[in-house]
Amino acid sequence: MKTWRLPLIAVVLVALALLPWYGSDTMIQFGISTLLLAVLAQGWNIIGGYTGYPSFGNSVFYGLGAYGVGIAMVQWQLPFAVGMVFGVVLAVVFAFLLGIPVLRLKGHYFAIATLALAQIMAAIVSNVPLAGQNIGLVLPPLNNDRMFYELALVLLVAATLTVWWLTRSRFGFGLIAIRENEEGAVVMGVDTTRYKVLAFALAGVFSALAGGIQAYWITFLDPGSAFDITLNVKMIIMAVFGGPGTILGPIVGSFILSAISELLSSEVTSIAGLFFGIVIVVAVVLMPRGLADVVRRFHRLGWRYFVDNIRTNRI
Amino acid sequence: MDLLLQVLINGILQGGLYAIVALGLALVWGVLNIVNLSHGAFIMLGAYISWYSFQWLHLDPFVGLPLTAVLMFIVGYAVQRGILNLIVRSPMFNTLLITFGLEVVITYLAQLVFSADFRTINPSYSGHNITALGVTIPVVRLAACVMAIVLTLAMWYFLLHTRLGRAIRATAQNLSAARLYGVEPRHLYAVTFGLGLALAGAAGGLYGTVSQINPYIGATLTAKSFAISIIGGLDTPLGVIAGGLILGLIEALTALYIGPTFADVASFGVLVLVLIVRPTGLLGRTA
Amino acid sequence: MSPILEARQLTRRFSGLLAVHDVSFSLSPGEILGFIGPNGAGKTTLISLLSGTLPPSEGEVWFDGRRIDRMAAFRRARLGIGRTFQIMQPFPGLSVLDNVAVGALFGRGQGQPKLALARESARECLQFVGLGKHVDQRAEDLGGPDRKRLELAKALAMQPRVLLCDEVMAGLNLVEIDEVIDVIRKVRDTGISVIVIEHVIKAIRNLSDRIMVLHHGEKIADGAPDSVLSDPRVVEAYLGKKRT
Repeated sequence: MKTWRLPLIAVVLVALALLPWYGSDTMIQFGISTLLLAVLAQGWNIIGGYTGYPSFGNSVFYGLGAYGVGIAMVQWQLPFAVGMVFGVVLAVVFAFLLGIPVLRLKGHYFAIATLALAQIMAAIVSNVPLAGQNIGLVLPPLNNDRMFYELALVLLVAATLTVWWLTRSRFGFGLIAIRENEEGAVVMGVDTTRYKVLAFALAGVFSALAGGIQAYWITFLDPGSAFDITLNVKMIIMAVFGGPGTILGPIVGSFILSAISELLSSEVTSIAGLFFGIVIVVAVVLMPRGLADVVRRFHRLGWRYFVDNIRTNRI
Repeated sequence: MDLLLQVLINGILQGGLYAIVALGLALVWGVLNIVNLSHGAFIMLGAYISWYSFQWLHLDPFVGLPLTAVLMFIVGYAVQRGILNLIVRSPMFNTLLITFGLEVVITYLAQLVFSADFRTINPSYSGHNITALGVTIPVVRLAACVMAIVLTLAMWYFLLHTRLGRAIRATAQNLSAARLYGVEPRHLYAVTFGLGLALAGAAGGLYGTVSQINPYIGATLTAKSFAISIIGGLDTPLGVIAGGLILGLIEALTALYIGPTFADVASFGVLVLVLIVRPTGLLGRTA
Repeated sequence: MSPILEARQLTRRFSGLLAVHDVSFSLSPGEILGFIGPNGAGKTTLISLLSGTLPPSEGEVWFDGRRIDRMAAFRRARLGIGRTFQIMQPFPGLSVLDNVAVGALFGRGQGQPKLALARESARECLQFVGLGKHVDQRAEDLGGPDRKRLELAKALAMQPRVLLCDEVMAGLNLVEIDEVIDVIRKVRDTGISVIVIEHVIKAIRNLSDRIMVLHHGEKIADGAPDSVLSDPRVVEAYLGKKRT
């Protein structure tokens, strides 16, 4: 890592941590949403960016985390922390039960399967009485945005540290090997099935924790919003735009895209959807390897970088 | 027993329609290896085109199918030539992403232009039913199902027995060899995608006569098209017919025996099951 | 001395087609065994059966006194079976060093849990095969002959006891072939038993202690290089190929 990076990150981190003291209420709320999205993007980064299995259904983990907190607090009168643990347990169980069969699928089949699973979960949960069925659950209110903000920030730091650990650990190298060449990884002794499922579960853990925070913060959840499929769009595009398979890429991606989307929303209502869609299309054509790659190569290639990307990928 | 028979007939009628719903996706996937996550959104567009043709030009939806199809073909050609051709050789994930993005854009624009209310296409005969053997068959459903199967068979014939169809299949199998025979891949890819969207448009027109349309039907239709394509296999349009019928029957039976809210769960559940157990599809080999 | 690797009546069918049929052989510790045979004879399939990439339809594989044909490929790698691929399988986005480090991290036994130490072992392996100068290059930037060396280094980093080499000399010129022969000899000298699949008959004859010949999935000869190469059945199998 270049020497100026660590101090810069530290400064940014401190600035972020202190935001609840100098920022407006709207800013804090925007901050919480963005931080949670960044956590989702980092979680996706683990299974999609580092392991090379693009999941289009991590929203399931998010929803499970949300409902974990919801059910624990509303139906069983348990504290928030227990609810979070419950949500994580649900996510991990899901990752193992369904991950094992689904992770045997390659590439786009895996993507489709996770997409289908995401659709199923929403429909199933809306039929479960314990989860309040279609009506949803209302959690005990807690008006402490500051706490939620710091909680989300801590979660993001934890997720990012985990990703950093991946880049220098045996486990992480195994995941990268799987991404680069799964067959090659197998003959070199990597237990690919176990590693893929663990990566999936790890992504699930962070997504579930984010969902849990969201549930308590908003104090309301229903199947539609908890298992919101568009979350998948957002987390993937944020991770991919910033740079999949990098430590800071998803964070940068989510911050930038959230900020622009927020700015646009204040000008033109609910244009966020259109904006993300266009960003995806343009980014995939011009910068398929994300912002991190652009930053790395732009100063050498200049605008030719984008042209080259098109030239290598077109027919 | 009567109820079961009715449900089965409903399932078959819906299944036939499903064949054409999935056909465009299967074609583009099998031939161009493009997994089009925006397929359903284009079906939705086709439905709206048919609706407006009916409103403004008083075109019967069945008669107006060619118009819808041609318009969608042009859109498809433009999209492939202008956008998708640029990423054809990049990893499959990029195709998924970019079509994901297209879906979002199209849905959003549709919501903007058409507003979110539900509509149906109601030609004069839309309330009429045929009753036979204790079973009620709405005329439009029957017509839609028949038309869907006819179109699918026509596509099958086209791919196997016409020059253009064979050129498309040849390009799918071996791009370099096809080039040597004078095939211009950019044009051919665009034609194929245009065909895929034309089929989606036709599906939309038919869909609009039997179900309500709104800007958000795209995602579910895409998911069902996947289920049908994977269940039936991508080898031949006939597989899509089988896949459609199977899905239609599963949904109808699930609605009857478990509950209507579970119909979608059943379709996606079958999709996941088939993927896990036999990714090559129940009938054939997938791309 | 008991064999370190043994195949007993190995058979592999692909939808009715017999790719490998009733093949039995054994590899002694410290031996270099050459596999030759015309294209499509089933050599790579046989290697895949040994490494665990493919399960056998019939027959058994024994490694160091243990039966392993039901064992997953990654477990066989951890037992000490390393292989190179005919169609090379590098990790394209990783540096040459990290490519080999994966082998050190996951290879025999528990592998090396510490990344820094794994990278050191990787460096040694790269020196051993002659790629010392290329450690920081991206694997995908390597040229053909260097890629072959990388394949070898990756397998060596696993500290295998048996190394299965699938056509490491294909596409190399005479000088490069001699270099590879040297490397394989050095590998054997460290105590690793080697199976070498090759088409370059002259090289195989120089290198191998024993040669086995496959034709249409069946073993048609097995013995000292000179006697095998002058066996009329072998010559007939290669009819049309260069006689050495």
